[in-house]
Amino acid sequence: MTDLRTTGHVLEPTVFELSHPGRSSYRLPALDVPSADLAEVLGASNLRSTPPELPELSEPEVVRHFTRLAEMNFHIDRAIYPLGSCTMKYNPKINEEMAGLPGFTSVHPEAAAGECQGAISLIYNLGRMLAEISGMDEVSLQPPAGASGELAGMLMVRAYLADQGNPRSKVIVPDTAHGTNPASLTLAGYESVEIPSGPDGRIDVQALVAAVDEETAAFMITNPNTLGVFENRIADIAEIVHGVGGVLYLDGANLNASLGVVRPGDVGFDVMHFNLHKTFSTPHGGGGPGSGPVGVKSFLADYLPSPVARRDERKPRGLEFDFDYDRPKSIGKVHAVYGNFLVAVKAYAYILTLGPEGLRRVAENAVLNANYLQKKLEPFFELPYGGLCQHEFVLSASRQKEQGVRALDVAKRLLDYGIHSPTAYFPLVVKEALMIEPTETESRASLDRFVEVMRTIAEESASSPELVTGAPTETPVGRLDESRAAKDLDVAWRKS
Amino acid sequence: MPYVSNTDRDREEMLREIGVASIDDLFADVPRELRTKTELDVPGPLSEAELVRHMRSLASMNRTTDDVVSFLGGGIYDHTVPAVVRHVMSMPQFYTAYTPYQAEASQGTLQSIYEFQSLVCRLTGLDVANASMYDGASAAAEACLMAVGITRRNKILVAGTANPSLRAVVATYLEASDIEIVELPMTGGVTDATALEAHLPGAAVLVVQHPNFFGLLEPVDELSAKCAEAGVLLVASVDPLSLAVLKPPSDYGAAIAVGEGQSLGNPVGYGGPLLGFMAADRKYVRRMPGRIIGATTDADGRRGFVMTLQTREQHIRRQKATSNICTNEGLVALGAAVHMSLLGKKGFRELALQVTSKAHYAALALAAVAGVSLRFDGPFFREFVIDLPVPAHRVKEELGRVGIWPGISCGCYYDGMDNSLLVSLSERHTREDIDSLASGLEAVISSGGTA
Repeated sequence: MTDLRTTGHVLEPTVFELSHPGRSSYRLPALDVPSADLAEVLGASNLRSTPPELPELSEPEVVRHFTRLAEMNFHIDRAIYPLGSCTMKYNPKINEEMAGLPGFTSVHPEAAAGECQGAISLIYNLGRMLAEISGMDEVSLQPPAGASGELAGMLMVRAYLADQGNPRSKVIVPDTAHGTNPASLTLAGYESVEIPSGPDGRIDVQALVAAVDEETAAFMITNPNTLGVFENRIADIAEIVHGVGGVLYLDGANLNASLGVVRPGDVGFDVMHFNLHKTFSTPHGGGGPGSGPVGVKSFLADYLPSPVARRDERKPRGLEFDFDYDRPKSIGKVHAVYGNFLVAVKAYAYILTLGPEGLRRVAENAVLNANYLQKKLEPFFELPYGGLCQHEFVLSASRQKEQGVRALDVAKRLLDYGIHSPTAYFPLVVKEALMIEPTETESRASLDRFVEVMRTIAEESASSPELVTGAPTETPVGRLDESRAAKDLDVAWRKS
Repeated sequence: MPYVSNTDRDREEMLREIGVASIDDLFADVPRELRTKTELDVPGPLSEAELVRHMRSLASMNRTTDDVVSFLGGGIYDHTVPAVVRHVMSMPQFYTAYTPYQAEASQGTLQSIYEFQSLVCRLTGLDVANASMYDGASAAAEACLMAVGITRRNKILVAGTANPSLRAVVATYLEASDIEIVELPMTGGVTDATALEAHLPGAAVLVVQHPNFFGLLEPVDELSAKCAEAGVLLVASVDPLSLAVLKPPSDYGAAIAVGEGQSLGNPVGYGGPLLGFMAADRKYVRRMPGRIIGATTDADGRRGFVMTLQTREQHIRRQKATSNICTNEGLVALGAAVHMSLLGKKGFRELALQVTSKAHYAALALAAVAGVSLRFDGPFFREFVIDLPVPAHRVKEELGRVGIWPGISCGCYYDGMDNSLLVSLSERHTREDIDSLASGLEAVISSGGTA
């Protein structure tokens, strides 16, 4: 039966179900050359017998369809989105506008260097800014996402160590590591060796000492780590890793807490990746595009992905910038072209808007907001690792679990109050984990509202847990059956 | 301060609530001797007006495809992007959302990506597709890793006619493995099917780009038959627009189809973001990399969408994941879905027909110029290679002066092709553009390489 409601739980048909033969919304120019006989020019045996079944809709219908879909999404422009380790901060509108300038969007990557000095200078200068911010010597913007940056970074480490005589076989990761770390290590040809965190949530330095040896290529960590704790013994850690000839890798997912406060390159890190879509305000786009530049100390610079943007000040203006392809030690390409350039434009605009003081204020306010939330939420939820936090912290729904309410239920109940859930069940070292990162762009009022909602959910968990376990009820659909999705696999629409 | 909402007074009150005296105290865990002593040496802050002035000045230093008549392609194609595509991609509900981990609050993203996957399946004829990859090159690399896992063989064959950047990225992805890469020779601009035979034993996969880097159609039926006999999986790297008219990879037995989807509604953008897509035979779905969106139901039986088969992925399976990919190109995939929905069944075919017609008109017009010839004889889709009597880079320089970019110098990527240009056409080229390229070439050549 047709659902005639326009509010509440209204489902949107798929674009295929909305299709109606004969409708169209394309407006191509009239063909001003002879129309090719496809069978003749392409060969009849190469042609498909029937055209692909693309949906047929008018332009207004297409716009309405995607607008109605858009309305079903939570997003950062609407409310706090406190996903830990994801740094869901406000995405400045001017940056979107700048990345939309035709002088950036309509530049073909095969254009001669002399014809796109603006683009290459932006790539070069953003690399220099990221190097300055991080204390690294050289930066490549080529990796299109964080995990790609991890792969590039570890392949560089591998190539460097191979040149020293032995690429080595293993990389140590703490048990709080992001999942991409061990996955990237596998791809880079390394075995991941996990070491447990100490009771304070930090790296257990004794465990690290016991784990490192001549086969240790690197120690790969996130700092502040995913519990939101700064590794205060980082200098010792660097010494231990360097002592066996290993390399210290920083997963830069949590760099937001360090901007202008502490530079990874100054505390012993040799290689790192950045997430422009976290720290540098570029939007997440519902899952991408991101950008995951990789930065290195000079001893690794020869191995950077090729080509590398460079500046030669001896050349006349208009020809100063180009790409260096003559990189015999390079690990090669990790992206088809130069990386996600239009994302880089936004990060560049962001840094210029903030300047040095603004960047430091980002870190200060991110850490302030997180500590404020932690303090305010501590009465209602278990805080397994107390003390001051950095940009994020991890609560546990262990008290609520005794009342029959899991972290997942708390996450879903938050949706009923119009707030996106924190990262749930990560890091793995905390049971019923809720990992919260408010970011610097939230106001105190927004944080207070979040606290109020979390307090209410804690109360509901005690008084009427079914409200929480039955959530969400206010979203376009109720809790979805994930096991059914995996069992009765339907990943492409077909006429039933 | 830009983009920070707390006032000084807020900060003071919040510090008091936390129980510390100053912001500095919040960083007590960061050893003082390690902290940055001086202000970062980065430019700014800029006001909005100053920023706009600076960015516009940078942008003005780039010559765009609107400023010149450009025949550059080679995998990144300049098509008209309808305003509706930009409009939808600019909706904050889409672009400021995160990965749809909370399905009930992300149905817009999930359903639109499910629609993208469905469209990719319709184009390729294959059963399952994922939610996108970084680009066509990394999608091909991931397909190779899949094939190695499926066949448990340690050799991959890559057509030498595949895009050089695709081959470069495949090599990087496999660098740390013990997988051998064999690059297949070409004959007449396409993969040499006879030479293939010698390399088939022990191979996991053949990666063939169709149409290939030179725009030519590969002998996919013949390649596929030979692969099938040897138990070698076929990975087809396809131009999505070509699938409006060319038979789908499922028809010639491809186990996996990948490709670069930038041309589906996204600008050239100096090469990024791009859009990798991947589709496969259903039996390989559990080996696929990246996110996959699936339909399911809620407790009341209403249809909804979730990320499914997540146990393949890095956040669950960690070092045993099928891939390390996490962030993908979701918003670009949305743009592709919107673009395909706008074009529809008829428009998509019409666009492919226009591109083919213009490419063939251009090939005839250029081959008619004295001294210019088509390099290869085989059928081609949207681009083709011409041989010149003078080095291609000189022709490019000369024509650049009159606002014509005639194509990509093949000599940058292939030995012995210094006099060859790869010329790419789209619906944006007018007959006049093509004729001006022909007359421009004529002028340059008749003057011996200097116009």
